[in-house]
Amino acid sequence: MITEIITYIGLALIGLGALADLIASIGMHRFKNFYLRLHATTVGTIWGAVFPIIGASLIAFVYEPLGPYKYLMGGAGLVTALIIILLAPAGSHALARAIHRAGIAKVVPCVHDELNPQLCGDKQ
Amino acid sequence: MDLVQSLVIVFLPFYLVAIVLYLIRAIKGPTIGDQVLAIDSMTYDLAALLVILGLFFKEPILIVTAIPLALWIYALDIYIAKYLEKGDMGG
Repeated sequence: MITEIITYIGLALIGLGALADLIASIGMHRFKNFYLRLHATTVGTIWGAVFPIIGASLIAFVYEPLGPYKYLMGGAGLVTALIIILLAPAGSHALARAIHRAGIAKVVPCVHDELNPQLCGDKQ
Repeated sequence: MDLVQSLVIVFLPFYLVAIVLYLIRAIKGPTIGDQVLAIDSMTYDLAALLVILGLFFKEPILIVTAIPLALWIYALDIYIAKYLEKGDMGG
């Protein structure tokens, strides 16, 4: 009984992650510049990578055909999800800070940019 | 095929299409920030895909490859950010 419930929850998380991944990769093409594409990256890493790995780990804990190594797969999967949820926002943040400091991408649309007024694109 | 395999094989094309779309953005991205961002998302999705493939092929040892992928792509982010900010990779 509890085995089926955990399996269904894990499969739902994997399906949710597949859908979020597709939405994020379409958003990568629909958004116009670098700072807007950070939104799509957030969807693609947290909803599209962390949740499917947690779902697959939940399935692996109760999935008999994996044999004696099923606890290794579940535990290592949870560790991978923890690593990604800690490191992905830190990496995106460092990259955005470096791009703005180096003055590579313009801020569009821009109302006011106090850090570097020359990077402000067309005003709205 | 049992329930897990038959549902996972339905979800696999979503991940593959997403990886191909990220790859297009990584090749033609206007600035270097877009390219690094696209490679970032692509590699995290590849790690998720490896875990799900390990479930599909009933091979638990595939999980071991996902952890170094997640760590390497963080190293790429930090190296590119430091190079753009300071001008060298310095220690």
